[in-house]
Amino acid sequence: MFLVGSFFLFSAFLVTTCIFVIFSKNPVNSVLFLVLAFLNSTFLFILIGAEFVGIILAIVYIGAVAILFLFVVMMLDIQKVTLMLNIKKYVPIAVVFASIILAEIIYLTVYKTTKVNPDIIIKHENNTEQIGDVLYTTYFIDFQLSGIVLLLAMIGAIVLTHVYRPSIKRQNIDKQNTTSSSNRVQLVKIKSGQGIKND
Amino acid sequence: MISLSYNHFFILSIVIFIIGCFGLFLNRRNMILILMCIEIILLAANINFVSASVFLNDINGQVFSIFILTIAAAEAAIGLAILVIYFRNKGEIDITKINQLRD
Repeated sequence: MFLVGSFFLFSAFLVTTCIFVIFSKNPVNSVLFLVLAFLNSTFLFILIGAEFVGIILAIVYIGAVAILFLFVVMMLDIQKVTLMLNIKKYVPIAVVFASIILAEIIYLTVYKTTKVNPDIIIKHENNTEQIGDVLYTTYFIDFQLSGIVLLLAMIGAIVLTHVYRPSIKRQNIDKQNTTSSSNRVQLVKIKSGQGIKND
Repeated sequence: MISLSYNHFFILSIVIFIIGCFGLFLNRRNMILILMCIEIILLAANINFVSASVFLNDINGQVFSIFILTIAAAEAAIGLAILVIYFRNKGEIDITKINQLRD
């Protein structure tokens, strides 16, 4: 009973926050509601025993993605953008999509029943150990490929947003490494009372 | 007395998916809201994967939800970078004027 009650509590909160994400006028509020939605889905995952994915969701989404959104929203001055709530134009396509999805829901929930598959033997009790057992053996290539995807995303984001300004003075590392001390420093012996002649 | 079943989570994920799609259709000018709606849709996919994995007693769904998480993070980074350079060029993020960027 506790499980069902907390499921309904968290899922109601999740749906409400998702609706608020869409309908908020201020983008900052939308991002904060998005954080709340991710937090609620974390609670739901922990509730059904998928702790590792839940905590990863909290760390990655709230700690990285939502904060990235918040930075961009605060950096760009987009208070003046007005939302276009032009619903009438999109009613036909929305009705088509909604009826397709509704038919899918009715078909899947009424005519299909999901059964628990008891054949699979789970070696570990711990959720994290279960995931690690599969992730580093069966899905090893996919794991490495997802790392490459993240690297490409990082390089792409840097290349896209980097601005080269020639007016700013910066280090030229090649020039620094190839030069020697004789190109830069000149040792002069100064006799007393004569000073330095500038060549 | 009802017990928690997969259908609860399936309907929840469908509802969140529909909310995300609705947001995509509704806000067709604010680019950052479109990115947030994509995040909501990916969250719905994640909920579906994880709950199916738990109720079918198969760990592969949770592994795939980690991959979805990776792709979502990469997509958010690239999308926000494109948003920043679009804002730098145009001074606004109205997506209806993005077709003026050609030629």
